[in-house]
Amino acid sequence: MKTTLALGLSLVTLTGGVGCGGDDSSGPLGNVDSLIILQRPKRNDMGDIFQYTSYVPKTPAGANARLVKLEPPTADGTQTTICCDNIPGFENVDISGYDISFDAKQIVFAGKLSANTKYGLFLLTLSDGSVEQIPTDPGRDYNSPIFLPGDKIMFTTNAIVEPGAPQHVDEYERGTTLQLGRIGTDGSGEELGPRNLSHRTFPTLVSDGRVMFTQWDHLGTANAGHLMFANQDMQALREGFGKEGTSPSNSTLKAQEIAPGRFVAIATSRNRTIQAGALLDIRLGEVVTTDGDVTAAEKQTEQNATYKELTPGVPMDMTPSAETVGRYYDAFPLNAKAKPDLVVSWADGPVESGVLGSAGLEANFGVFLLDTANNQRRPILDDPAMWDIFPRPLQTRTAPPVTGSATDTNLGGKTMIGSMDVYKSSLKTFDAGSIYGVRVSEGFSSEEGFPEMFGTTMFEGMATLGVAPVRADGSWLATVPANVPLRVQTIDKFGLASFSEPVWFSGRAGESRVCGGCHESRSETVNINPGVTDAFQIGPTPMYGDVVRENRKSMTDFSRDKIMGVAWNKVLQPMFDAKCISCHNGTPGAANPSYTVTDPMTGTAVTWTFDLRGTQIPAAFAELGGDPAFTASYLSMAGLDMQAIEEGDLMVSGTYKVYLNPEDARGSLAITKLNPPQQFPTQNASVRAFPGAGHMAAVGGPDLTPDEYYALILAADNGVSFYARENNPGLDRY
Amino acid sequence: MKNIITKIAAAATLSLGLFAASPALAGKGGSAGLIRSAIHSGSVDAITAEIERAESLMCEECVGLVTNLLEDNRYEVREVAAWWFAKRPGLKDMLAEQFTAELATGSTIKARNAADFLGRTKTYKALPTLRAAISRDVGADAKVAMVRAVKYMAHPDGSPVLVTAMADGSPVVRAAAVNAWRDIRGQNSAAVVVGLLADPDATVRAEAATVVGAMGEASARAQLETIVVSDTDAMARRNAAWALGKLGSAASRQALTTATADKSGLVRMVARASLASLK
Repeated sequence: MKTTLALGLSLVTLTGGVGCGGDDSSGPLGNVDSLIILQRPKRNDMGDIFQYTSYVPKTPAGANARLVKLEPPTADGTQTTICCDNIPGFENVDISGYDISFDAKQIVFAGKLSANTKYGLFLLTLSDGSVEQIPTDPGRDYNSPIFLPGDKIMFTTNAIVEPGAPQHVDEYERGTTLQLGRIGTDGSGEELGPRNLSHRTFPTLVSDGRVMFTQWDHLGTANAGHLMFANQDMQALREGFGKEGTSPSNSTLKAQEIAPGRFVAIATSRNRTIQAGALLDIRLGEVVTTDGDVTAAEKQTEQNATYKELTPGVPMDMTPSAETVGRYYDAFPLNAKAKPDLVVSWADGPVESGVLGSAGLEANFGVFLLDTANNQRRPILDDPAMWDIFPRPLQTRTAPPVTGSATDTNLGGKTMIGSMDVYKSSLKTFDAGSIYGVRVSEGFSSEEGFPEMFGTTMFEGMATLGVAPVRADGSWLATVPANVPLRVQTIDKFGLASFSEPVWFSGRAGESRVCGGCHESRSETVNINPGVTDAFQIGPTPMYGDVVRENRKSMTDFSRDKIMGVAWNKVLQPMFDAKCISCHNGTPGAANPSYTVTDPMTGTAVTWTFDLRGTQIPAAFAELGGDPAFTASYLSMAGLDMQAIEEGDLMVSGTYKVYLNPEDARGSLAITKLNPPQQFPTQNASVRAFPGAGHMAAVGGPDLTPDEYYALILAADNGVSFYARENNPGLDRY
Repeated sequence: MKNIITKIAAAATLSLGLFAASPALAGKGGSAGLIRSAIHSGSVDAITAEIERAESLMCEECVGLVTNLLEDNRYEVREVAAWWFAKRPGLKDMLAEQFTAELATGSTIKARNAADFLGRTKTYKALPTLRAAISRDVGADAKVAMVRAVKYMAHPDGSPVLVTAMADGSPVVRAAAVNAWRDIRGQNSAAVVVGLLADPDATVRAEAATVVGAMGEASARAQLETIVVSDTDAMARRNAAWALGKLGSAASRQALTTATADKSGLVRMVARASLASLK
């Protein structure tokens, strides 16, 4: 046993009345006998909020990561190490997270025993200090465990639910993505949840039985971490907080429930912030105050969701925090007052990995009692060699009900998706009858063997699975592959997207993900009775639900109902070669406008001329065009990597146009100029999307076939990428 | 490596001519100056932060700075530098050509650095060279990097590299090769790994147990049963217990029952759960 208190008191503001280490029996920790705290050797390699592999087993003085009990939970309390001293095999353990069981008799933690092992799950029995490993895949990481009712544990893992498939990778922080899973406390019945295209992390149990977690949403230009809900069986994903620009920060994470419908969470930037930031008090529904306690359980909708900043001045972006301001690593609510008391982990100074790294420092998180009404922190524990994080009262708590979702064995391992009425949306108003169907696409990243970039537009790889017709009552259904990221678009009879869902979602095998409409209430149970819908009567549209990943591609048939990926050089280039390049061949003139990119600092410039030939782009545009493999036609239609232009402070002059807009075929110059024909329910070249005859008729050239028009539309609506499974260089032999 | 910097710089100047960045912060705030400062600090985290910030920054000086980082002694630095070039395929291709040559003939350090670059940038064209280079006498560091490259590429044509590495004299190389085996796309058999269950090195045995279990290699059952009851290494016993659960053969009942009383807490619950999962 030892007591550690090494706080620079100048860094904190002491409240009057109850002093640090004094009698706190009437304070917010008055009913807490002891706190459990995780101590990890200080480090600086966890700048990104999804970093989960950091391994620093010892401090320079040789101390390990450990779980400690502080009793009473005051600065002069007694600190006892409860794990994992003197346990064979744990000499070099690092611990990344933990949770206390409902009866407060056990702790589950994520630990890594050596540099050449992975983070696994361990169960600590507090009565005798024994530790047993929970049987998870030794070759994969398991983190962020939480107890679920029904003797289960939820975790995040990079293990893969889909046999034979590679796990998705994150193109920015370059990690293998984390997904949700659960397992019995006796090690039985491991289940892995459906996959997002990027990370899911920091699950937390909610009093209504659901689980809230942070999901990284990356689809095209969308790039943010939002709070989501799922049932305990990882079905029925719903939005929680932060989407559609409702959060003040790029990322919201480490949520903890204050009261029903109300959460405290970290608001920060994705990278460089050591997973720390400001604290938000998030209210998902209508705010109700009863006897001083604030809840927000009712009418949880996007419109009703609000938040309050609990820590004014603390940056929510990657700005280095100032002295005495610092950043918060996590927070746990002690009551539900309008301005709650929290036990927090906080570090002073510039909590930003680049600044700290340059100075040879690490953030020093210590445990504090935060009075948010007066913005005052009182020190509880700070070991200067350690991160003192995740303080939690060691006490029993009420287990929420076991919740689950119906699984339809008739789906045969597929997932059914759909909605009762697609016209019911809080995101867009549709004209009655304007939607022909819902197009569903599957997403993947570079893990299938692709280069770092699928094109110049920042979009991921996509394979279109099909189009489900919207029935007369607005309903639609489809059966799709389980466990894969999916994106839906409403389309009109010309195949043009009228709205693109800005995020990926996924479902488990046998799960029916049928919504009332788009973005209905987050908390209310939607009484889905698809049996009453037209779509159910007709039956779901089959969309490769039982076809394995490697076969979800169409290598030679690019017709409307068969095309999946739009591999630029294989699908579109033959069309350009046959019908376009007699005019659009890179020869400057009216048919081939030019633009110039200039570096104003040096005056150097390069000029591009519109060209639909399949020649490789010249070296001068290799950077601006993204990849030497890209063709002149691709660069002409997709345009430059505008992020590179912007960051290079380059100037573009002349006739610069993007002819295919990502996710916006309807607004794309090429599409409006060509004027595509009706695609659905039958292709009809005499019915056109826009007034006039279209470009090909105007120039007297051979018209594109309806299938060719559809491929061009799909290229735009799926993000204007060059690569698809059908031209994946990772499938070639070397 | 100076010739590479020269080559890149020349290409940038003569061919592209657009790299000269403003000294002011651009775009997301990245700049050559910030990269230079981070390098000067020596901090991996600072370097990583600035290279990431310069994800799309076009700047001639950056090319030189980041090229130098491809030869840093720390893998994390080489990795983020290679990522930066992977975002610039035109430059990557130029570097890959020279790194492929260094992989074939370079010293230990050069071969290591080359393998890390080629792997992280998924330069599949280097796979034939990797297949030959793994047999070179270049030391464990370089060979681990070659295995790492193959694992990252995950291309089936890298499998021969791993097979060769599994017979290497260094247990570190063997362990890395076994570990990488299951992550190759389309890999459907772990038969080649079964022999490593008898490896003299405990880490190799533990890795092999994981791989045969994950891939359901039934021919490994008898050896796994031996490991789970008698191996001196707790990790190997734990992984063998997990693997036997994955194989699910009732014939493993006795061995797993014995393992439920293992002296190590790493093994007992794993054995109990595997026992419960037997057919």
